[in-house]
Amino acid sequence: MGLITREKETAPCTVTISHRFEELSAHVRLNNGAVVNPGDTVEVQGPEIMAAYGEVVSEDRTAVITRASRLEQLWTRATGDLEFMELCEFSFSEEALQ
Amino acid sequence: MNAPTRDLAHSADAKTAEEGLAAENMSGPVDSKMATDVAMQNTLLTPRFYTTDFDELDAIDVSPVRAEWDQLIARMKADPNKGHFKKNADWDTVDWEGMDPKLRAEFIDFLISSCTAEFSGCVLYKEMKRRGKNEDVTGLFQLMARDEARHAGFINDALREAGIAVNLGFLTQAKKYTYFRPKFIYYATYLSEKIGYARYITIYRHLEAHPEKRFHPIFKWFREWCNDEFSHGEAFALLMRTDPKITQSWQNKLWIKFFLTAVFSTMWVRDHQRPAFHEALDVDPAWYGQEVFRKTSEISKQVFPLTLDIDNPRWRRGLDRLDRANREIAAAKRQGGVRGKLRQWAGSAKAGAAFLGLLSIPSQRNEVPDTSRLEPAY
Repeated sequence: MGLITREKETAPCTVTISHRFEELSAHVRLNNGAVVNPGDTVEVQGPEIMAAYGEVVSEDRTAVITRASRLEQLWTRATGDLEFMELCEFSFSEEALQ
Repeated sequence: MNAPTRDLAHSADAKTAEEGLAAENMSGPVDSKMATDVAMQNTLLTPRFYTTDFDELDAIDVSPVRAEWDQLIARMKADPNKGHFKKNADWDTVDWEGMDPKLRAEFIDFLISSCTAEFSGCVLYKEMKRRGKNEDVTGLFQLMARDEARHAGFINDALREAGIAVNLGFLTQAKKYTYFRPKFIYYATYLSEKIGYARYITIYRHLEAHPEKRFHPIFKWFREWCNDEFSHGEAFALLMRTDPKITQSWQNKLWIKFFLTAVFSTMWVRDHQRPAFHEALDVDPAWYGQEVFRKTSEISKQVFPLTLDIDNPRWRRGLDRLDRANREIAAAKRQGGVRGKLRQWAGSAKAGAAFLGLLSIPSQRNEVPDTSRLEPAY
């Protein structure tokens, strides 16, 4: 890993979407054991994946992982905590409605 | 990919704009405004993605709280709420058309925000389950992911009734992973689950006494829903009790005070931005806020070594100052331009000062009991 350079790699992945009454969820699993670290970016390739209501869809795709540089990783580790409010649920969005 | 147009009862089931327009609920003259509306009523869910120190999570040893832990996990596995999230005769028809547009906008914001929160919780818990190796911990996160996905599905259904479809397009967009230390996840999610319980149960009890104010059937499901939130909070309380340092060191006490103040004051400000919602329920947001803080404080005595002094006169004054500053910021954003920007900065400075004022109110010490297990009692 470079101090300021980013590297890209690809990983096979499976995207699973459940769009049902009893479960609404969506997950991306990297199938080669690649580990996502702070500051890394993951992008699943290909067209948008849709599941109609009532369906569970599972598709194998390729994901591009853009590795954060060493500096970026340190920065994300140091500052990520400050975004903790995103973990909290407040029932309403931040913006005032007009 | 061009999917053939199917016959649909509702545009919320549509995969494409064409299908949406062809759906039964869209019969009647279609103009370009309606076509835009169909496209716009596709709400993009935007969950965030996090990573944490998975080695630290794996190192958790639940032995000090083993008996309580096993009991809680067994109950969650038994899944007493499984049959609850079903629509039955209690789900009466909603008059979306007749709803005051302001109330409708605020209520839909409520549904979308709640759905996103449940969905994000599910993503986070599932990720923790997948990356962890400690079976106690991964087992817990699996169960919590199950509940959150179930809640998200239930709210999604209510949204679909209002003609709004969630869009999961984020899956194929670039996602940046941010980082939280495990203890920040404990504090934030513990508080989030417990305050969620207090928020839902307070509304539920209010509507029990005033059923005529219940403008949507989803409120009838709040009690069982919040019991799930309650038990998730119990699990995080136990996780924090596995290591006394997490709550007892002086730095961490400061963090806890900071989290409590930040979460309570954010809730206050956001609720006050939704007057139509609270008016329709006939709930005074100030009364509601203090009531929720009181319940959350009482519950959090199970694990936090301090509570906020919410009866201190400075508390309410500080919240009001924060609320005013927030309104100024919103007005300045609408104004735009250089003057707007300057007003926005001035508002932010006032909000920061108000928050520091709240933070400087001395907290009340709490002796944490030997066992933490609580039952939902409100």
